[in-house]
Amino acid sequence: MRICSEKDFWSGLMFMAFGLFFAIGAQNYAFGNAQRMGPAYFPALLGSLLTLVGLAIVAKGLTSKIRDDVDKFHWRPLLLVLGSVLLFAFALKPLGLVLSMVVLVFVCARGGPEYETKEVAILTAALLVLVLAVFIWGLDLAVPVWPALLLG
Amino acid sequence: MELLDNLALGFATALTFQHLLYALFGALVGTLIGVLPGLGPGATLAMLLPFTYVLEPTPALIMLAGIYYGAQYGGSTTAILVNLPGESSSVVTCLDGYQMARRGRAGAALALAALGSFFAGTVGTLAVAGLAGPMVQLAFKFGPAEYFSLMVLGLIGAVVLASGSLLKAIGMIVLGLLFGLVGTDVNSGVVRFGFGIPQLTDGIGFVALAMGTFGVAEIIGNLEKKDEHREVFTDKVGSLMPTRDEFARAVPAALRGTLLGAVLGVLPGGGALLASFASYTLEKKISRTPERFGRGAPEGVVGPESANNAGAQTSFIPMLTLGIPPNAVMALMIGAMTIHNIQPGPTVMTSNPALFWGLIASMWIGNLMLVILNLPLIGIWVKLLRVPYRLLFPAIVLFCVIGAYSVNNDAFEVKMVALFGLLGYVFFKLGCEPAPLILGFVLGPMMEENLRRAMLLSRGDPTVLVTRPLSLSLLVLAVALVLLVAVPAFKKTRTEAFQEEP
Repeated sequence: MRICSEKDFWSGLMFMAFGLFFAIGAQNYAFGNAQRMGPAYFPALLGSLLTLVGLAIVAKGLTSKIRDDVDKFHWRPLLLVLGSVLLFAFALKPLGLVLSMVVLVFVCARGGPEYETKEVAILTAALLVLVLAVFIWGLDLAVPVWPALLLG
Repeated sequence: MELLDNLALGFATALTFQHLLYALFGALVGTLIGVLPGLGPGATLAMLLPFTYVLEPTPALIMLAGIYYGAQYGGSTTAILVNLPGESSSVVTCLDGYQMARRGRAGAALALAALGSFFAGTVGTLAVAGLAGPMVQLAFKFGPAEYFSLMVLGLIGAVVLASGSLLKAIGMIVLGLLFGLVGTDVNSGVVRFGFGIPQLTDGIGFVALAMGTFGVAEIIGNLEKKDEHREVFTDKVGSLMPTRDEFARAVPAALRGTLLGAVLGVLPGGGALLASFASYTLEKKISRTPERFGRGAPEGVVGPESANNAGAQTSFIPMLTLGIPPNAVMALMIGAMTIHNIQPGPTVMTSNPALFWGLIASMWIGNLMLVILNLPLIGIWVKLLRVPYRLLFPAIVLFCVIGAYSVNNDAFEVKMVALFGLLGYVFFKLGCEPAPLILGFVLGPMMEENLRRAMLLSRGDPTVLVTRPLSLSLLVLAVALVLLVAVPAFKKTRTEAFQEEP
């Protein structure tokens, strides 16, 4: 069958996947009964409901008269922005806040439509001053500021 | 007069130097972020939430409320001057506000919007103060069955009154409820869906979920939009003084908008968004010259602006008295309360009267500050609009990330932001709105707990939900809402109401 509304079709599948995941995953826990609901009761109920909702959306997507295609994914901003967040998360402990911030801003800025090294360098410097002033001296955030190696 | 005593306590709390300072700071920072195109109150609140962790609960909530109004005011400024709605509720402000700006009346549009909002805010605050007591009395009659039914009604209302596909919104709500269940089950102590990750025993981080789906995903979405050329009226704001004619048109619109907004704000799923759309439709319908709308009619700016501000205020009523958020922004406020160890619900008013009434009083003070601040400072916000987005977004991502880290001083939350950013982007591509997800997420554990208690009390008999009169009437209302959507005429109006594009 031809997919008419791609958005509906795929979001329905997504909901079904989540619904099945929670409904099946709940089998690992005690179900209990209606009077004494176990930890599995409510998630299993909701998971099944979500699967049904997903199914209905898939059906709607297949029969819809309105074409509604999913726009193509723009991988560059997606990967660079999310990548910069992940890099920051992994770099924070070994490299400290200052270096992690530099990494984040430079990688993240690459995700935008325009990029100019000099401009981003100035931005990074300004943000460093601001973040250090607000979070380290102001709020006394418990975070390593400098690389662990330097501090021995 | 108990109400006056309560308000006196509220003002005594809110007018301390420290609290005034936090209200001012919240309003300023909220405006600062809210002015930036593409960042609505939801994203702004999620981003700034961690800043309030170090504070005591009362100043923290006062500051958050300030951030919320600030973000809303800021969004209107952007809508009028740049034709870029910072949030969905200022979409309608763009229609006539931007047209007024094009005709050199930007200053008047801003001034009228601010004054209308202030008036609406005052009425809204009074409504909150007056209705809070009776609502709390009602809330004490609620047992677990009533709470469960009320949450069902709230969630159904959120779906019916929201824009976009109904089925998808239901899916997002249920998914949010399920996300809310991740972590340790309070009754059995079993960790559910934890994947053996120690940080997940406390559940999915609220901040990470909100920042990922609202903040990061929104930024990625903005980056792929083509740089449309937009005229920015930053040089010629013009006189702030409205003409006599503009003023005469604006006053009744502000009155109608305020009333409409105050009523719609209390409804589940209502609040600012619905109020502003409804007000615009109303103004256009009753106007003797509807053709002026979309060409810079002051009523088209003032009505919706008053309505969304009144709605923003009254949406605090269910949140403060019942502990049930009517929309995503209030869900964020509930999240903030829980983080500060305040169990939202009817007991807040009695156990924490200073916080409760102080917050209400500070709503009005916050609104006043915004008028005083925004009109003279408009030049500064205008300058901010000139900062190119390519420099803004790395800074926003950075603040999100540091904020997420500061929740538990743990980089795990940052990884979760990336995960939910990815998920949020997928939602965005599939046309699924994240707001119902956040609402469900907050309500998930509450719903499970109340259902459990109700069933325990009734010895496993599910009919308890329909045999208790209060619970039954709530469920009947919910069913009525669903049936309403099925009625073709209403369906048509619903679709039209959210498509007031020029």
